[in-house]
Amino acid sequence: MDQSEERKDIFKLSRDWLSVQEVVDAVNSPTCGAVSLFIGTTREDQVDGRKVIGLEYEAYELMAQSEFRKLCGDLRARWPSVTHVCIHHRLGWVEVGQASVVMAISSPHRHDGQQAIQHAVTQLKATLPVWKKEVYDTKDSSWKQNVECPWSSHSQLAALSEREKSN
Amino acid sequence: MCVLLFNTELKLFVCVLYFAKSVELTGVKEEQAVAVTTPISSRDLWGLLVQRHPRLSLLQDQVVLAVRQQYVAIGDQSVTLGDGDEVAVVPPLSGG
Repeated sequence: MDQSEERKDIFKLSRDWLSVQEVVDAVNSPTCGAVSLFIGTTREDQVDGRKVIGLEYEAYELMAQSEFRKLCGDLRARWPSVTHVCIHHRLGWVEVGQASVVMAISSPHRHDGQQAIQHAVTQLKATLPVWKKEVYDTKDSSWKQNVECPWSSHSQLAALSEREKSN
Repeated sequence: MCVLLFNTELKLFVCVLYFAKSVELTGVKEEQAVAVTTPISSRDLWGLLVQRHPRLSLLQDQVVLAVRQQYVAIGDQSVTLGDGDEVAVVPPLSGG
């Protein structure tokens, strides 16, 4: 590993459609044999007979930057060979089929990059101050909650059922 | 002789940001000059915000706060606030 190459952590919130190539190019490095990639796309879900037509994203932008830095610190502590990290996340309206988030990690060998990207997705969902609202073909909407988020209702229910099991 | 009297509780003003569901419940995204005391428990800080916007109570148990961009769970922990600090109401996250 070329020690003089500075490791990059790049984070962007964008109201425009995301370019996967841009994210991949941001992490590319002659020292890296692998780029590990995750693309989160907006799914056409059916919820109680209503069809999702898109998602509306908002973020606490200043804090998203600092949480991203913490996420990268965590990745680099667990997988020191991780070279560059780039995450682009959408804000605003994202239609079904479009990418909401693109994440890329480069590493000399594929094992660390693949492990790191999985962990990064989970950590992003647990800690990044970003929220999405599902909008349905019936024109109503509902704010989603990631199961990974410790204060989501899923987490509460999971904790409750664990306590009940042990009683 | 100089006698220094320390107030153990200071009053100051913070900026409060609202996100996602909490915007719909309060009708606001940002409030400047919200009067708070310091130190304050995160539970009391939350209570102060619910007093301003009673509909926020609908988020009870599914919300945390952020103080100077650090998450703070609602409970007994003491929070030290400074004048002009940024406080945010943080409903369950759904990034990604």
